[in-house]
Amino acid sequence: MRLFAVGVSHRTAPVELRETVDFARRGLDVALAALRQRDLAREAVVLSTCNRAEIYAGAESDAAAESCGRFISEFNGVSWDALAPHLVVYRGPEAADHLFRVAAGLDSLVVGEPQILGQVKEAYSTASELKATGALTHRLFTTAFSVGKRVRSETGLGEGAVSVSYAAIALARKIFGRLKGLHVLVLGAGEMATLTATHLRAQEVGRLTIASRTLASAESLARDLKGDAVAWAAMPQALAAADIVVTATGSPDPVLTRAMVEEAMRPRRGRPIFLIDIALPRDVEPDAGSLDQVFLYNIDDLQTIVNENLARRGSEVQRAESIVREEVERFRAWMQSRDIVPTVVALRQQFEAIRQSELQRLEPKLAGLPPDARARVDEITHLIVEKLLLTPTEQLKGADDEATALAYADALNRLFKLRAREDE
Amino acid sequence: MTITAWVPFVFYAAAAALYIAHFARRGPRSGRTATAVLGAALVAHTFLIGMQTMQAGYAPLVGTTAAISAFVWLLGLSYLYVELTTDERAMGAFVSTLLAALSILPALNPAIDPRPALLRSPLFTIHVMSMLLAYASFALAFVLGITYVLLFKEIKAKHLGFFYARLPSLQVLDVMNGRAVVVGWLFLTCGLAVGIVWASQIAGSPDPRAQAMHPTDPKILIALICWAIYSFALFARRAIGWSGRRAAYLSAIGFVIVLLNFLPVGYFLTRSHNF
Repeated sequence: MRLFAVGVSHRTAPVELRETVDFARRGLDVALAALRQRDLAREAVVLSTCNRAEIYAGAESDAAAESCGRFISEFNGVSWDALAPHLVVYRGPEAADHLFRVAAGLDSLVVGEPQILGQVKEAYSTASELKATGALTHRLFTTAFSVGKRVRSETGLGEGAVSVSYAAIALARKIFGRLKGLHVLVLGAGEMATLTATHLRAQEVGRLTIASRTLASAESLARDLKGDAVAWAAMPQALAAADIVVTATGSPDPVLTRAMVEEAMRPRRGRPIFLIDIALPRDVEPDAGSLDQVFLYNIDDLQTIVNENLARRGSEVQRAESIVREEVERFRAWMQSRDIVPTVVALRQQFEAIRQSELQRLEPKLAGLPPDARARVDEITHLIVEKLLLTPTEQLKGADDEATALAYADALNRLFKLRAREDE
Repeated sequence: MTITAWVPFVFYAAAAALYIAHFARRGPRSGRTATAVLGAALVAHTFLIGMQTMQAGYAPLVGTTAAISAFVWLLGLSYLYVELTTDERAMGAFVSTLLAALSILPALNPAIDPRPALLRSPLFTIHVMSMLLAYASFALAFVLGITYVLLFKEIKAKHLGFFYARLPSLQVLDVMNGRAVVVGWLFLTCGLAVGIVWASQIAGSPDPRAQAMHPTDPKILIALICWAIYSFALFARRAIGWSGRRAAYLSAIGFVIVLLNFLPVGYFLTRSHNF
């Protein structure tokens, strides 16, 4: 059986095309059923995320890959001419290499992002539930899961926040532990303020207070996010009560001075405060960051962290890639042994059958021999067969690549008229 | 006997090496191995203390060296308890290094001192065990305090690096530091109270050490200073909000004094506690 992968991803196709090629729109199950109906592959898994649409399959012929490519175009209603230049086909170990890289997050838009492994798992379990998978795809995907897991636990590829808002949330966690129950104050009600407040809301913070120079806009944002709004004049009190403060006003001058923060810290008895200044120009006087128990990060600081994390991820890529290489090699060896094992078994069976039939034929002549001499004859014939088979078996198993192994197996099948069957 | 005396040290040192390797490289397997080796160290140490107890017929708590051995054992157990209940291994590198360093002393001098008549009271055993548990708690508070300061500095300086990636949150470190100080203070108070009762019981003894049982003896004086420092730390955290860095510094100062009292004072200066 031939393994292949065919599809488009963010590396090969522009976003306009990727938008139209989306198996999830009509459902993976529909796609898998349609694929089976056309009998394009013996086993198949469809992976569909916002950055890729790929079919991983095992089929009897090499032509199946192109048929599956055409299926992608038909199923999604995209013309073949538009799709074909962006379609990539991976065959044999290359397909494994590609899937392992995908599962490891090496092929993602943001290298090391963790969602992809879950998406790969989901793709496989959907296909598996519909009985579209087989021994080949099973081995391929379970290996991919373990590659993903190994890369996550053995390298720093997925570590560190790579967006400003996640960097801020990670920092807040490092300061406060759990965010649950914390009091967040957002200054401003503009786009950035809304975005960050929404992010923090998703982290299940305890209380969300919004203060804006125009109370109405604060109130409207507070309604959306189930928070409460306070008038700008009441901001100093809110400041004293808050654990995390996000400032994102459009003010040309700082809205939080060092003196204001110092004043707010007084009744807090050393409880730390985390000021996240994402406004440009800055909303918090930089000097406020030198106060005890005040952690002040502005947008540049957060961006620096993000850049450092990205750089660190980059340096982990090589370690992740070596894990992928290792597993691809193991998978390749497994596939190859799968290709040749039936041939080896059939060859041995044939030789043994010949030996048995010859012994049978000579039975009348051997009947007169004493039992230990007969046993010797049996042993000698057995050893001859073993010796004859030894070198060809070794050569077959030691073939450098799949094509050679398959060619050898094919030659043996023809030369000895073997009927090797692939065991599923 | 001399070789078996080194067994706990060897295990503690191995655990320390593993914890440090785990801290540096963060492999999940090395972490579990480190915990297992520390567990083995404690089993071996328990076995050794048990053997000494059977041999001598009393718990080996006489003299500074034996007390250090018991202290190491108690600190190891307390740390392992904290690690298993919080699933937080980052402190292990610091604690096990302290364990390995301190366990050299009992290994060098494994002889069990004969127990003078003066120490046959059960109050003595309670006193020593309480004090050692207090010191073990303070050691944990000290390690938590140091790591708090290291992490605090990284976050404050906006340079997120080595400790940021490895330590739990400031909040967790601070809360655990506070708890360790409370537990330590309770044991210290209990140990001192029992010590006072016991000292008054033996006041009539002609033993010069019983005569020296007085607040002016260095060992007793410094223990009282420790009590004052930790009492202040407790008060300051609750009443005037000295948590975080200030609490960390206080527990560092406190533990340095505890160590001073334990080692130089215990070996050379005290006249009342030189058993």
